[in-house]
Order: sequence, then structure tokens, then C-alpha cells
Amino acid sequence: MRIYEVFLKTDGKEEFRHAGSIEAATDELALILARENYARRAEGIHMWVVDRKNICISDEGFIDPNLNKPHRHNDGKKVAKWRKSQRDKKNDG
Amino acid sequence: MNRVWNAIEDFEKFLNDGGVVEPVDDMPNEYRQAVFDFIEMHANSELMGGLTERDWIPKAPGLRHKMTVIAKTQDEIGHAHLLYMIAADLKIKTRKEMMEDLFAGKSKFHNVFHYQAKTWGDQVAIAFLVDAAAVISQQAVFKNCSYGPYKRILKRIIAEEGFHLRFGEESVLRISQGTEIQKALFQQSINDWWWPALQLFGPDSKPNDRLLRWHIKSERNEVLRDKWVQKFVPLLHGYGFTIPDSGLKWDEEENRWEIGPIDWEPLKRTMAMGGPDSARRISEASDSWEKTSWVREALEIVAS
Repeated sequence: MRIYEVFLKTDGKEEFRHAGSIEAATDELALILARENYARRAEGIHMWVVDRKNICISDEGFIDPNLNKPHRHNDGKKVAKWRKSQRDKKNDG
Repeated sequence: MNRVWNAIEDFEKFLNDGGVVEPVDDMPNEYRQAVFDFIEMHANSELMGGLTERDWIPKAPGLRHKMTVIAKTQDEIGHAHLLYMIAADLKIKTRKEMMEDLFAGKSKFHNVFHYQAKTWGDQVAIAFLVDAAAVISQQAVFKNCSYGPYKRILKRIIAEEGFHLRFGEESVLRISQGTEIQKALFQQSINDWWWPALQLFGPDSKPNDRLLRWHIKSERNEVLRDKWVQKFVPLLHGYGFTIPDSGLKWDEEENRWEIGPIDWEPLKRTMAMGGPDSARRISEASDSWEKTSWVREALEIVAS
């Protein structure tokens, strides 16, 4: 028996989302069991099942949040400060 | 990938900060065991509940009720299926070992499934009172559950139990508008099921309850039990039924219902597999497992 991860997608605009996992003997049975366990009440119209062993998993820390790279996280503060100063000037005048 | 905690204090700090444990983590053995025991009992209860539900498919009054009971049966068995999978993932017992322990009376399931549902009224009382009690406790677990896989599955279970609750209350409404004989039958069901349903929450939580400390549960048993009482006393009164509790009274000052003393003996008997219907229920579940063994054997052949 193998463990499969189940992904469901509701309509044309939504992305596939993880719904849970299922234990099954074959790919075909995994699809049937996933449908019967996770999609009995219109939870999705498209489904993926993926054998868990085929998922590549990153180590912790592999994804860099890059918080030390402010050029990737422009917070808009400089512009906001300038705009506020313009508004204040207008209100004063 | 997997996290390790060197001391239980570090682990508890992680939990207190809202940490969520995943199966790959190197969790303390006591925590692993506590989560496993809790999920195993939940899984057993879903399975035993599903089998009770199944008994009523041929006997449900009318096609619509029959179809709903079939859907409920599939839901409960589905919940058991998912719960046994995450329980097995904790690597304490395999699914097969959990089944063997259940049939040998070595592992627990909820007290309410140690009683016999004799009439359709009983089945409605279960759907109304027991399912609601189960949802109240599941919601309290879901709210803050520190074990990731369980929290994710509870979300599904609670959503589906919502349908069962609506079915339960709709059936109560229907009976309350029925004949005097039907109403009397349902009053008898309330008399029989009120106390078992109330005891589903268990006795008052101990001050040092590990399930609470480790954020597996988020609310004390007595608080949840009271929440259920405050909701169901007025609901049943509203449908024209009485509560089988001579000590029940309305507290004007506190604006709440006070119940009489609880006799915990029946709960203790069920937990020792000595409930009125424990033996028959367990043997039926075991028979059902035996009868479907050919499916599992076929799957093993296909898998290899």
C-alpha cells in the first residue's frame, strides 16, 4: 500500500489545494478512494493524487525569506512620507 | 526537515507558542502516545458509530431518510478511514493491530456506542444529542490542536457532522409535529439517551490533564458539557419534550440551567466494555471486518 497526497480544485480560477492524504494500492484505486473520502459534497471538480514518495521536499531553511534584502521588499515608506508631506502642506495652506 | 526537542520543557514551550507538530518531527514519546490514544479512540468511535448507522439503513422510515442514513454511514466510515490512517502514521500500532485491539475489547470507543438503538426515535436522539456532543468536543479540539494531521482532518469531520446535526434536528422537528404515539416514543428515547450523551464529555478534567497541557484538547470536559446542557435543555423544551433529570432547575440569578448530580457508574461500565450492548456491538464489528477480508486480500495482491 502507498500513501497518496490529494489535491482538489474548485473552479476555473482557483489553484489546486491540498485536501489530505489517502492510502491505496494503485493509482486508479487512489483516485477512487480520494473521490470517496474528500469530494463527496462538491469540494472540487478537478483532482490530483500524487504518490507521496514522488514529492520532493526541501530542507528547513532552504527557502530564504530574504528579509535582509530590502530591495525585494519595497515597503513604499519613502513615497508615503513624501505624499503625506504634500498633503500636510496643502492643508496648512 | 524534522524538528528535535532536547527537553520536554523545550517541547512544551514550542506548544505554548502555538507550535504545530508533524509526523516527521521527533516528538517526545509521551506526547506521541497521548495523541495516538486520543486519535485511536476517535477512530474506533467513528467506526462503531458508522456500523450503528448502517443498521438503520433498511429500517429508516421512508426513502429520503434512508438515503440520508446511507450518506451518514459513508461519512462516519470515511472519518474512521482517515483517522486510522493518521493514527497508523504515528507508528505505535498498525491499522490491523488497532482493529485486533478493538475486537478484543482492549481499546476504547465512546460510551454512547455501548448502548443499543432500539427504535427510530433512538436513532434520532443519537443524531440530535450525541452528534451535537461529539461536534462540541471536536470543535474544542480543532480550535487549538497541536497535532497537524489531526487538526486538518477534524476540519473535514466537523464540516460533515454539521450535515448530520441538521438532519438530526429536522427529524426532531418532524417527530415533534407527529402523533401522540410518535411523540411518546421520542420522549422515551430522550429519557434513555440524555445521560449517555451528557457523559460523552467524560468526568471533570483533572487539573494536570496532559491533553490540555499539550494543546491536544483546548477546553475542559466540564465546560464543554455545560455548553451542551445550556444549548439542549431549552431546545428540547422548545420542541415540547422533557429532560429526565429531577434535579434540573433554572437559576434566575446566574441565568443558566443547573443539572442534578451525575451518576458516573454507567460510564465506568462502558469503559470496561460492560455496557448494555458492548459485547454485541464489538462482535458485529468484528464479523463485518471478517466478511470484508477478501477486499483487503485482493488489495494486497494488487499492491504487490
